[in-house]
Amino acid sequence: MITVYGQCVAAFVFGTTVGVLVQRSRWCNTAALRDAMLFKSYRNTKALLVAMMILTVGFTAMISIGNGNPMRFDVGINQFIGLFLFGIGMVFAGACTVSSWVKTGEGNIGALWALLFLIVGLFLSSLVWSFSYWPLAGPSMTGRANAAGLQLGFADALTLQRDTGLPAIVFGVIQAGALYALYRRILRRERETLAMEGQEAAISVKKPALPTVGRAAPVANPAPTARDGLSTLGD
Amino acid sequence: MDFFKKSLDPIVALAIIAVLDIFLFLIVGAWTVGGGETMIAGLFVKSLVGAKEMNRIPFWHLVFKPTWAYWKIYISLGMGFGALVSAILSKEFYWRVPKHLSEWVMITIGGLLMGVGIRLSFVCNVSTFLGLTPEMNLGGYLAVSGLVIGAWVGTSVYKKLLEA
Repeated sequence: MITVYGQCVAAFVFGTTVGVLVQRSRWCNTAALRDAMLFKSYRNTKALLVAMMILTVGFTAMISIGNGNPMRFDVGINQFIGLFLFGIGMVFAGACTVSSWVKTGEGNIGALWALLFLIVGLFLSSLVWSFSYWPLAGPSMTGRANAAGLQLGFADALTLQRDTGLPAIVFGVIQAGALYALYRRILRRERETLAMEGQEAAISVKKPALPTVGRAAPVANPAPTARDGLSTLGD
Repeated sequence: MDFFKKSLDPIVALAIIAVLDIFLFLIVGAWTVGGGETMIAGLFVKSLVGAKEMNRIPFWHLVFKPTWAYWKIYISLGMGFGALVSAILSKEFYWRVPKHLSEWVMITIGGLLMGVGIRLSFVCNVSTFLGLTPEMNLGGYLAVSGLVIGAWVGTSVYKKLLEA
């Protein structure tokens, strides 16, 4: 059993490693969704899917042998509404929870501003909760469906294992397979786009060259195209 | 060091993070950011108004009791620290300030919406994609649906604003 102090040290070491790796790779969850939707650019999306595949197999394997600490709280319509608002917010702010910390560490004042207002939003919501007591939290969670509270109860790999008698890893492998199929689909789409761009380039090469006299000089720093993606808080 | 001279493939970075996250899952729980940020919000306001005033708000004694001994805080602080060290070593640290008023407005609204969203759903984007969903929690699927639709709506609005 790890002490509270040990938990905090482990979390700090993990967080520091994440900070270094995300800073070096420029990974961003916002870009993983936004750039895929807007520009069909999947650099961050592929990384997210790979992490999800590894974690699905890893977590369900641990759950199968009775290890790990899964999150335990009732779920309901509030998860959908909350993350819907979060999704809009992260695109507006140009950063998710990870990239706001990482960009703040890089000296980005916009990211620090986003973090400050995220904290304001959290506190304001705590005041609203103190009047409404919704969604159900803490001791009022029962783990069962509750129509009045718009709650569906609790279900995860552990309950699947208990209810079906099959090890959680079986379901984990199925989910990882579905994620892999999505990953393959993205790779195929990228190859198709590259092939199309290659054909267009070949056609333009066949065209007669224009006379060089009077042509504009090459621009040292060409303006970013749509395919370069949007800047994210001053990337 | 060579590591700080070139960029890292995000697939490699996220694969390493995922493996480390499995160990964290064994020790305390999966990687999450929203819980730590909620606790930071509580500690920040408590330092401003005092413990007595804070205890008058039911949320802060029924759901989250502000304490520094909460491991999730240190993931967030660690991410900021790690990025700072990495940015300095790679000579990429410099002050960046949004230039236009419109950027400040968008970031402010975005930050507020993220905060409200986290508190309403009890999860953030990290715990949605890299915690709940890999644990095959029903909440993960609901949250992913909400997040993807929300990001689509946000992107559509953002695109319209850019075009305008």
